[in-house]
Amino acid sequence: MGFTEQEILETVRMVALETLDIRTTTLGISLFDCADPDLESTCEKVYTKVVHHARRLVEVAQSISDDYGIPIINKRIAVTPVSWVAAASGSHDLVPLARALDAAAKEVGVDYIGGFSSYVHKGFTRADDALFASIPQALAETDHVCSSISLGSTKSGLNMDAIARFSQVVLDTAALTVDTGGLGCAKLVCFCNVVEDNPFVAGAHIGVGEAETVLNVGVSGPGVVRSALERLGPEADLLAVAETIKRTAFKITRMGELVGREAASRLGTSFGIVDISLAPTPAVGDSVSDILELMGVDRTGAPGTTAALALLTDAVKKGGAMASSSVGGLSGAFIPVSEDQGMIDAVRDGALSLAKLEAMTTVCSVGLDMVAVPGDTPVDVLTGIIADEMAIGMVNNKTTAVRIIPVPGKGPGETVEWGGLLGTAIVQDPGRFGCSIFHARGGRMPAPIQSYRN
Amino acid sequence: MTRRFLTAEDVRRAAGNEIVVDAETVVTPQALEVARQSGITIRGAGGSYAEPQPDRGPDASRAVTKLRQIPEPEGALKGRGLIVTVVGCNRPGVLAEVSAAIAALGGNVNDISQKMVDQYFHMVFVVELSGSGNFGDVKRELEALGHEGDYAVSVMHERVFRFMHRV
Repeated sequence: MGFTEQEILETVRMVALETLDIRTTTLGISLFDCADPDLESTCEKVYTKVVHHARRLVEVAQSISDDYGIPIINKRIAVTPVSWVAAASGSHDLVPLARALDAAAKEVGVDYIGGFSSYVHKGFTRADDALFASIPQALAETDHVCSSISLGSTKSGLNMDAIARFSQVVLDTAALTVDTGGLGCAKLVCFCNVVEDNPFVAGAHIGVGEAETVLNVGVSGPGVVRSALERLGPEADLLAVAETIKRTAFKITRMGELVGREAASRLGTSFGIVDISLAPTPAVGDSVSDILELMGVDRTGAPGTTAALALLTDAVKKGGAMASSSVGGLSGAFIPVSEDQGMIDAVRDGALSLAKLEAMTTVCSVGLDMVAVPGDTPVDVLTGIIADEMAIGMVNNKTTAVRIIPVPGKGPGETVEWGGLLGTAIVQDPGRFGCSIFHARGGRMPAPIQSYRN
Repeated sequence: MTRRFLTAEDVRRAAGNEIVVDAETVVTPQALEVARQSGITIRGAGGSYAEPQPDRGPDASRAVTKLRQIPEPEGALKGRGLIVTVVGCNRPGVLAEVSAAIAALGGNVNDISQKMVDQYFHMVFVVELSGSGNFGDVKRELEALGHEGDYAVSVMHERVFRFMHRV
């Protein structure tokens, strides 16, 4: 036969036992032609255009899943940041646009629609201002809409005014979603060096350079990497560990490449990128933390964790780069605390602190993700946490993000259940000290010297 | 002038009781509703209005024509291959059951291997699908053969293995 029995069983095992899957097929839809002086008409056009293009998305994903025997877990939509689309209307309240996006998502049956977004890394337009004011209500009212904000970049520095405002938006969103444990904040993320073709929520949206419609694919497989390392055993040296992860990432990414090409072709749209990200889920075994512990740290968060994560992220990228010429998005390892059973346990046992998490984000592919803090965290403390994370991205020329949830009525050590893929979180302690004067100064942090490359 | 969308506001502003839209225009559901309420007919140039096929933009046509031309890994079966694996407790008749089902669904077994580990067997069939057999249907029917405590069947497209194991 064309394949050895060993090869065939390896692939079957990956899908059947090690939760290899296509995490998301995300259809990007440009909304630039939906701008209208009348917000109501803008909403109509947005709804109509999203439904028009995405009507077959779920059906096509299902048909590929059937034909190839690879599960495709999520079907999502990413749109042009709505502040650009809404600007022509001059409206102060953009919640109707969120409702239109939500209605369109429901109509076509996708899990999430990302793009209630704006770019303010240097300054605010009137539309950005309106968007910021609308985010808490929009996220509280809708089920499927996700919001992402660009607050800084290596090229432009950090907009500290925007960071301070964003922190307040996070607190307001939590306050409006008290009954669900501040769940609105799980749909809200900020970025430094934002990625314009990210297929993963909550950061999914499509940037200015993207096509009319584009299909991006996110593949995942922490379970596959974990099993491969388990088979490798504790005797192998780190070069062997890196090689094993790289080979495994290659195989996973090939699945993404196959599905991406096929889905784009069946939908008749351009194929964008494959995002190879080890994205954990609360399912047992589907954990990035387990990988780190198999590599040899006692518990995630112990000394050695950052080094292990650096090796993991790098090996994943190298395997992915060989497997597809279209690797993009965030690509690396995600560390969403509440979505990874191993990390939840590490926080509960006191092994993983907020400070260690921040250190880990210097080498992972995103940043502080799904971190719960007390509901009464002062706004300047949030500003400080976000500014620290954005500064890491700015100076190191990498994407960093913060998705932080101040859980109403909960203090450090308490547990909050969000359910589903969002998992369980232990509220973490941000410490006793803040940065109120730093927060109040505002202004812009200039671009670092490493941005002067021209 | 080509207009991409006809909105409720456009319908309210329209004079007369008929709006003719060109083939590229998408009429929003709200516009259709307003037109219905005010007795305005919306029609295309050649008859009644029908939503056009989605225009995926100038880059999109390449996806359909060129994506398949990107070199693919080498493999034995091009196009219609399936890999069927069966794992379960050993008992007489399993091989016969599965191969009969494959034949009934229009599949031709090109290769087969079987191995026993303790009291469990695993079988791998390399199948070429003939004629108009639909992958999804074949997959569903074959996978429905197995029962808990007996054996489990999994069906995957040959391209999956080609992409994963061949460069």
